Amino acid sequence: MILDVQGIEMSYGALKVLHGIDLVVEKSETFAIIGPNGAGKTTLFKVLTGEAMPTAGTIRHNGQDITKLPAHQRARRGFGRTFQVARVFNELDLRTNVVISIESRLRYSGGNPGPWWRWKPSRDVQAEADEILDRFGFPRRRWNDEAGYLSHGDRKRLEFCVALATKPEVLMLDEPTAGMSPSDRKEMTHLLARLKAETGITILMTEHDMDIIFELADRLMVLNFGEVIAMGAPGAVRDNPTVRKVYLGQDHQHA
Amino acid sequence: MNRAAQAALLLFLLLFLFAPFLVNPGLVFLAGFAMIQIVFALSWNLLFSYAGLISFGHAAFFGIGAYISAVALRDGYEIHFVLLILVCAAFGALAALLVALVVLRRASGVQFAVLTLALSQLIVVLIGYSSLLGHDEGIAAIPRPAIDFGLFTVDMNQPLTSYYFVLAVCLLAVGLMWLLAKGHVGRAMRAVRIDAERAAFVGIDVWRVRVIAFTISGAFAAVAGAMLAPWSQIITPDYVNWLQSAQPLFAALLGGAGFFWGPVVGVIGLSGINYLTRTFAGLSEVLVGASLILVVLVAPQGILGALKQLARRRGGRTPGGHA
Repeated sequence: MILDVQGIEMSYGALKVLHGIDLVVEKSETFAIIGPNGAGKTTLFKVLTGEAMPTAGTIRHNGQDITKLPAHQRARRGFGRTFQVARVFNELDLRTNVVISIESRLRYSGGNPGPWWRWKPSRDVQAEADEILDRFGFPRRRWNDEAGYLSHGDRKRLEFCVALATKPEVLMLDEPTAGMSPSDRKEMTHLLARLKAETGITILMTEHDMDIIFELADRLMVLNFGEVIAMGAPGAVRDNPTVRKVYLGQDHQHA
Repeated sequence: MNRAAQAALLLFLLLFLFAPFLVNPGLVFLAGFAMIQIVFALSWNLLFSYAGLISFGHAAFFGIGAYISAVALRDGYEIHFVLLILVCAAFGALAALLVALVVLRRASGVQFAVLTLALSQLIVVLIGYSSLLGHDEGIAAIPRPAIDFGLFTVDMNQPLTSYYFVLAVCLLAVGLMWLLAKGHVGRAMRAVRIDAERAAFVGIDVWRVRVIAFTISGAFAAVAGAMLAPWSQIITPDYVNWLQSAQPLFAALLGGAGFFWGPVVGVIGLSGINYLTRTFAGLSEVLVGASLILVVLVAPQGILGALKQLARRRGGRTPGGHA
């Protein structure tokens, strides 16, 4: 297993939002966390990314305890992350966004981003950034555009480039299609499916769109009021009467 | 950076290069002073515009350089002046590192700014108690050094030589800061400023980047201070005071804080206002205040920001990169 989470509890003052969550994510698996609003998905996600410290429980990555590691150290261990509302370096151009990520990886992984006085990224770094942008469908003529001018969908795609440039082992996606148009949503689903097939990357995601979950996830977990009410393969979870009652409703009976 | 800004910077460089042949000695002195303020303002902006930290007490590091240099020159220490500049840089860096290690653990926003201000004001008070540093009167009649480079000697007692030495050191400092800002260290700093959380998720240690930025910034501020001692030949606690700390902020606001060259334009603008109003007591402050209000209202991104906006409108496309 790549990620072993045991007994995660989280409280905000007197309010307990996570009640002893256990979950295990296997290598190359796509694991989804779903649940109604206020179920504790975001809090659990933040605990897993290192943005919030749990009040109890442990998180192990490849057998090592990472519960207390801050976000940047988790990133260095191979965790990539995207946000619900895509976060990129808005004032910088597309290429620099990806270059920053590659240079950071080189710095912590024993590589060499080049001497400090070189005002341009090294050729290798530029080539890698260009390859990533190209792979994610950004035409060359847009590489020098400021990221702040991108549409929401494009910004999400760029965020993927930034996250993947660190070559993560686990990709954590917080609602990857939130706020997207139907066509962007479809494109993002294709992109994720392709990524999964091509790289075998482990994906841990939260998502509201059930069609995407059922298309991509190998296993999923349903949270309600901070407790796990179901976990398993999408088909089994979909047919679980409790899940249908509290979250899916009748629409997805035959989805 | 668009062509108008490039042309303006080239013009400024030429004016600085030929100032001793174009203007009277009084203006040459002001030009040297402006160059030193440019290094100081750029060191501050490296922190603000690149690492996203605002320091209200940056004059403390400027003062450290200025006082070390002034005392060494006044007391005739047997130290090569270039080495003395490096010693000042080291002390500026060390002081900044200590402040960063203590303050940045807890704060990075307004609290950080206020704490830096408090620390710099503390230094002003301490100077007032120190006879070595000349109490409130400061250190006057600082001798200018003759710097032996083996093959030649740069005698700062010669006005022309002195000017070009200051120009050379300032150009070198600006060049080093530019390289740093444009290189991968500068890119990591900008990532931290734009979105610290996003930066952390690509593995950037935000705290470490900020500490490094503050240390480097302190070193360059001290270099600027070190150059002022032989140039102005008088150092007073005014150079450590909050008003001196505010100068880079004014310059960055006026020129454009989001641009590496913004503070350069700002310092030249402020120096121009000061020079043109020198015979009218108080008018300079009124004009500086008025132009800052005007800039904030009309061109919040400063003069270079307004030029960029103009170029964007005329070009009708989205320009890339950071000027």
